[in-house]
Amino acid sequence: MKIFFLIGWRNLWRNKRRSLVVISSIALGIFAMMFSMALMNGLNNQMVENTISTSLGHIAVQRAGFQDDMKLQNSFSPSETALQSLEQTPGILAYAPRIQLEGMIRSSEASRGVLIIGIDPEKEKSVSGIAEYLLPDQGGTFLLNRGDRELLISKTLAEKLDLMVGDKAVILFQDVDREISGAALNVRGLYQSPIDSFDKYVIYTGLDTLAKMAGIGNRISRIVVRTENRDAVDPVAAHLRAAVPDPGIEILTWKDMAPNLLSAVALFDAMMYIFFAIIFTTVVFSIANVLIMAVMERFHEIGVMKSIGTRPVWIGAMVVFEAVNLALAGLIAGVVPGLLLVGALSVTGIDFSFYMESVRVWGTGAVVYPSIKPMDVWVSALIVMGTTLTAAVYPAVKAARIKPLEALHFI
Amino acid sequence: MSMIVLENVEKDYLHHGKKIPALRGVSLIIQSGEFSALAGPSGSGKTTLLNIIGGLDAPTAGSVTVDGTALTALSPRELADMRLRKIGFVFQAYNLIPVLSALENVEYVLLLQGLEKKERRERAEAVLTEVGLQDLMRRLPHELSGGQQQRVAVARAIVSAPAIVLADEPTANLDQKTGAMLMDIMHEMNLKKGITFLFSTHDPMVMERSERLIRLSDGNIVSDESKR
Repeated sequence: MKIFFLIGWRNLWRNKRRSLVVISSIALGIFAMMFSMALMNGLNNQMVENTISTSLGHIAVQRAGFQDDMKLQNSFSPSETALQSLEQTPGILAYAPRIQLEGMIRSSEASRGVLIIGIDPEKEKSVSGIAEYLLPDQGGTFLLNRGDRELLISKTLAEKLDLMVGDKAVILFQDVDREISGAALNVRGLYQSPIDSFDKYVIYTGLDTLAKMAGIGNRISRIVVRTENRDAVDPVAAHLRAAVPDPGIEILTWKDMAPNLLSAVALFDAMMYIFFAIIFTTVVFSIANVLIMAVMERFHEIGVMKSIGTRPVWIGAMVVFEAVNLALAGLIAGVVPGLLLVGALSVTGIDFSFYMESVRVWGTGAVVYPSIKPMDVWVSALIVMGTTLTAAVYPAVKAARIKPLEALHFI
Repeated sequence: MSMIVLENVEKDYLHHGKKIPALRGVSLIIQSGEFSALAGPSGSGKTTLLNIIGGLDAPTAGSVTVDGTALTALSPRELADMRLRKIGFVFQAYNLIPVLSALENVEYVLLLQGLEKKERRERAEAVLTEVGLQDLMRRLPHELSGGQQQRVAVARAIVSAPAIVLADEPTANLDQKTGAMLMDIMHEMNLKKGITFLFSTHDPMVMERSERLIRLSDGNIVSDESKR
């Protein structure tokens, strides 16, 4: 079979221009595929990371039922066992308590429905990126302690409510006894997260301040846990579930809390594969066309090869090897620059700030860092190889079926 | 021993629905080790006969036996194996594989037969040396003259020591001197290795050098002259 691989390779270069056109189209296809995969990985990765970083955290420990009904009645006091487990479970970087409830913020100009989150500012810094999203140029600072009677709101919301740092705003909500509770608090700082919907809806105040106003004593809504990385989430969650065998407590991962996010990622992946299928369907026809032309040009020659005893299956193999050679050359020509470009962009990132509104809607951040996994490269290579082999089937069968005598008379 | 046995071989072609007879009941026996030629005008049926003996074409009627094997009973794959192991072909237009060097072209047949690389290389080099191409083995066909290419084709035909070599107008594209040299080489192989040669030819020089001359006309054998 080696000889047919050799013949296939040399045949490739008998019509250099034609082969180079096909190799270029394969290379361009795989380059586009790898770049799209890397960009999509980067977008998906950042969308997930930003969601984890702003609202979800990696894991939440909360009262059973809180996820479906986030009311104050579902707040809880963490047990000693739970707190000890959080301290001792390997893979946990930090954890922080939160109280969260739905309410309203009102300024002298307007009012908005919001999610009010009470935080322990020092601990919160370790589990979320909210401190990093603060806009110091707006003159504010982060909350100082859990007893702070001040607010942290987004720049977007501040603009809608016509508020500035230092201004007073009123927050209103139903307390645990279903009585209207509220207070006038100063705006201490403004933030801007990568997620537009988050900015429009979330405000922060001190944990103790909110607990007191809500009348829940030392109870909290949830404990947000940050693990070493996303791969550690499932093992840590499993460990915690085993360590805290309380049916009244639920331990949820970010995937449990945001199934729509997973669906979005799966949808983007599926769309990408549909896009690749369209690209490579056209590549199949161009490769098949070139191979059919090559077979027809060598009709006489194939007849001679069959006359001197070459079996039909070997003739077919020769055509398939020619296609494999085309694919290999295209792969190298596409994968190498693809990896180099993605490698460079994974460091520098691609700035989509000119498209700021859209990237903020999707929560990806203005600068996207493409990333490619070895599996993506293998999948790309397999798709190209599969495409090329599919394209080679008809020309190979056609070549194998050439009748030697007919071919010998063909000039 | 009979190398080729043809019994009442007929071959008809259809042209626009009309039957054109190319061979009309040809019977012929070629003995092992013969150096024979089929001669006759164009359309006399000599190439058709050669193709049928080589298993490239099937007769409409009659039987063909080559080295004890009845060709009409073989499948396309068995015919390919038969051509690979028992029959060598030399074509008018040389028909070497253009992307393989002279040495690789000759080795190709041995490779198909499954010989080890070392043996393949040794045998191919030896036979190319025998046809006088020891210095041109690495050249591609387009880097060789017509005569040199035809010598490579002869080397390819005989390298596996086939029972029979079928040569269709082997000198038609060569000048007189080169053609004569090629015939000398083939005759030498016939004598040294006992390979049976059967030519189809128009060339008087080939007819002259053949030891048996079978003349065809209009699909029939009209004379069969042995010069031994």
